[in-house]
Amino acid sequence: MTEGASAFAATAGGSLLALPILVPAAGVLLSFLLGGRQAERIALALMPVQFGFAVAIASLIWRSGQPLVYVLGGYAPPLGIALRADGFSAVMLVTTSLIMPAAGLYARTNFATPNDGTERRAPLVFWTLLQAIQAALSLIFLGGDLFNLYVALELLTFAAAPLVCLDGRPETLAAALRYLMFALFGALFYLLGVALLYGAYGTLDIVLLSRQIRAEPAVWLAAGLMTAGLLAKTALFPLHLWLPPAHANAPAAASAVLSGLVVKGSFFLIVRLWFNVLPALPNAVPGAILAALGSAAILAGSALALRQERLKLLIAYSTVAQIGYLFLMFPLASGPWSAEAFSGGVMQALSHAFAKAAMFLSAGLIAESLGHDRIAGLGGAGRAMPVTFLALGLGGLSLMGLPPSGGFAAKWLLMKASIEAGQWVWAVVMLAGGLLAGGYLYRVLAPALSGNRPQLKSPPRRSRENVALALALAAVLLAFAPPTFFAFLQIGRPAAGAALR
Amino acid sequence: MSALAAAAQEFGPGLLVAALAAPLVVLAVVLSPKLRFAALAMSPLAPLPALAAAILAIGGAPFEGELPGLRMSFRLDLPGAILLAAAALVWIAASVFARADWTGRPNAERFAVSWLLTMAGSLGVFVAADLLTFYLVYALVSVPAYYLVADDEDAGSSRAGGVYLAFTLIGEAVLLIAFVMLAAGEPGGSLDIRAVVAALPASPWRDAALALLILGFGMKIALAPLNGWMPLAYAAAPIPAAAVLSGAAVKAGVIGLIRFLPLGAALPDWGEALAWAGFVSAFYGVAIGLTQRDPKTILAYSSISQMGVIAAVLGLGLAGADQNAASDAAFYAANHVLVKAALFLSVGVAAALTGRGRSPALIVAAALALSLGGLPLTGGALAKLAVKGTLGDGVAGAVAAASAAATTALMLHFFIRLARSDNDGKAASPQRILSWLALAFASMLVPWLMFPAVGGDLADALATATLWDAIWPMLIGAALAAGLWALGEPLPRIPAGDIVVAQEAAFRASAPPLGAAFERLDWRLRQWPAAGLSLLTIALALAAAGFASR
Repeated sequence: MTEGASAFAATAGGSLLALPILVPAAGVLLSFLLGGRQAERIALALMPVQFGFAVAIASLIWRSGQPLVYVLGGYAPPLGIALRADGFSAVMLVTTSLIMPAAGLYARTNFATPNDGTERRAPLVFWTLLQAIQAALSLIFLGGDLFNLYVALELLTFAAAPLVCLDGRPETLAAALRYLMFALFGALFYLLGVALLYGAYGTLDIVLLSRQIRAEPAVWLAAGLMTAGLLAKTALFPLHLWLPPAHANAPAAASAVLSGLVVKGSFFLIVRLWFNVLPALPNAVPGAILAALGSAAILAGSALALRQERLKLLIAYSTVAQIGYLFLMFPLASGPWSAEAFSGGVMQALSHAFAKAAMFLSAGLIAESLGHDRIAGLGGAGRAMPVTFLALGLGGLSLMGLPPSGGFAAKWLLMKASIEAGQWVWAVVMLAGGLLAGGYLYRVLAPALSGNRPQLKSPPRRSRENVALALALAAVLLAFAPPTFFAFLQIGRPAAGAALR
Repeated sequence: MSALAAAAQEFGPGLLVAALAAPLVVLAVVLSPKLRFAALAMSPLAPLPALAAAILAIGGAPFEGELPGLRMSFRLDLPGAILLAAAALVWIAASVFARADWTGRPNAERFAVSWLLTMAGSLGVFVAADLLTFYLVYALVSVPAYYLVADDEDAGSSRAGGVYLAFTLIGEAVLLIAFVMLAAGEPGGSLDIRAVVAALPASPWRDAALALLILGFGMKIALAPLNGWMPLAYAAAPIPAAAVLSGAAVKAGVIGLIRFLPLGAALPDWGEALAWAGFVSAFYGVAIGLTQRDPKTILAYSSISQMGVIAAVLGLGLAGADQNAASDAAFYAANHVLVKAALFLSVGVAAALTGRGRSPALIVAAALALSLGGLPLTGGALAKLAVKGTLGDGVAGAVAAASAAATTALMLHFFIRLARSDNDGKAASPQRILSWLALAFASMLVPWLMFPAVGGDLADALATATLWDAIWPMLIGAALAAGLWALGEPLPRIPAGDIVVAQEAAFRASAPPLGAAFERLDWRLRQWPAAGLSLLTIALALAAAGFASR
């Protein structure tokens, strides 16, 4: 952890770290300037480039076995700003660069610009904001400075909220406002915490802070405020008031990005805060509080998903539950099982991103083809659109944690860590969550594959079905991640709660 | 022998992979509309690699295989091979029998997909060598079978399917945590089943893991009072599906107990507890089965009883550190694989036949039924002989004899109900009759072929004393059945699934109010003032928690 001055020596190839932020940002500007049909073209053209950057960064980290660092403009912190990428950053970058083009390809049907070249508001906004989200997420995954991360967090919220109300219906506007308002409260809390830390230590660089930080009231207050603010943006139960209406009312492609990626952005910062900024502090009790909230999220979110009447709301409440699993890694962050717990938490973030994106895209196809997404009216629909329901079902497999799926791998790792740590209760909650997930999927899939085929308004396009299926298969394939993958996740992971030992 | 052993080392590892892959390959072809019917015609061939592997392992030597890329490993030892051989035969016969069901039905595609997935899992559980592979194939044999149970889409099938799925998923959850404990208890970090079970007696999680393993696998083999799903599921499933579920699929629970109980370590408390649970189930199944009228339901209760006997044998093996209990119990279970599947096919054949053809069919069915009671010269007699060593001559031996008597009574009751059952109007196609006859023949012959492999002595099986030991409990059972029949079936009518009715009622009474309570909670928490208060509380609680933990 304390590698001396070398923490700010830019590593070979470190300049690559600026590109995943700058390129989509340039794309946003270009889209505004050129307008019209160009926004879609620019967005879709830059997405493979983004994937290339992500893979290049990951392979550099893999080859060197340590985090990648880049100091902007050559001024070392605290004067300048550093970008850093560890194993966790890299897999999140790659995941983002895979889900974004999937959502983009899917959305081409809904957000096509008319051929006559007239500019329409919705497509322009959609394609521009999609790129803004990608830039914000890159900055979150790579930023090494807490104020920079604040900017990224705000950019993320302001890019994400309008996606909810693109079609302009009153209920979507209400949902977007609700999202924006609560996220603003969260941002305020985060900013207060940042100010406290700056006042105490005079720097906001993560590495510099982690070396100086002591267990004192200002630090704990800052940690509480920042974590609570980030939890509001992550929609951890009971701070989830905005998520179900926002995710259920957004266009399907936007829901996939919001549920799969955007909530993971603020989660990523909570991990950064506790693992990278505060690793030296004892964290058993705060960790247990986070996991208790996560457990409540799992139980309540799953139970509420079982009660929904609309498919998209069911999937949204399932996101409330799945976010809960992410927080079970915090009380397990110190001890011999900490690597397992961390891998489990990251695996949950990745598998949920792919599985949930697949499910929202499938739900969108179902709603378009049937003209509604009432669960009671899904009878026989699986026979009319088998590929769509296969994607939905495979995504569900991962949510339930049945093998083979990334969700199973995540559950296995988190359960093993909690058993080894003697913290049974988390394992029991995970089992209950899996059973409830089985229940809500049964409610959807059992009728869908029985009874007569319904009359479709229009059959789903095969290419769009394939996009959803590919995402679901990615969630399944995570089950076969080799041991080297888990070793990669550990690159740059400081042991939290080190002061305990 | 040595030639087979050499062949086992040469071809065994590849065959293990092929055993699991073959049903999945057929499945992949089924998904293509053009090749669908050609592929379905091939489905009886899908279990052939598994059968070949089993023959090599029984006649030759155990062997291992792996798929390193998928991190899957396989091993076929004697207990696994005995069960695999029987299961593969049942899957072959039932696939031929089911071919009439593939075509021309609205559910044909769904049925075919779940059939082949269940087949892959059912064959896979006997060869899985590590925890993760076992959990995967165990889920495969359990979850897709939902659509075999719920195939008919009437109210009864929907209920049976829902109950089946609930038991299955709860069982999966229980086993997941048990497997996690097994993995955590192995200091070297190995996931190999042998390694984790060897480490279990010294593991800090020993008792919890054993309790959960017995609970999880007990749900799969329907130990009372976790038996309710089985009569519903077997009665609702189409005939060939009931045959593979009751014959092959349920043995996933048996091989689970065989593989995961540390039979070499003497654990008298756990062993005796399991033995008692098994014996209680053995008599409970018969008692409730005698009150039933539907032949398929009666067969399901007979399965509950027979699985109880197997659990008792394994419990006694665990109590007495009896390593042989594994292959003995496997042999007993293998006989049940063949006979129970053939009996379910008998129900289908008898229902399709009328008049002159029916009597010979009923005679074959009677021989199969009495085999479960231990009729001399049948596989059932050999099965009883195989587990005799583990049961001993004491209390357990006497209880086992009483259970044979009870089973005989139940099987006679089944026979009477079968003979009186109505024609269902389905055609008795030649392929149905031939596949049923072939399986019935195999269930008579194959146990004799496998008996020497588990150390059985064929001369002993034909000795007069052995024959008498088998016959007298049957006579008592026959007298019991005759008495009940003469009294005009005086037993009260108990609904199929017995205790599950109460379990369903408890679920219905508790789940909706609980869900409604969650909804009210959610509504309150999603109001602005409540959410703002939560945000502030969480911030302060985290700060205070950190401050206090100094």
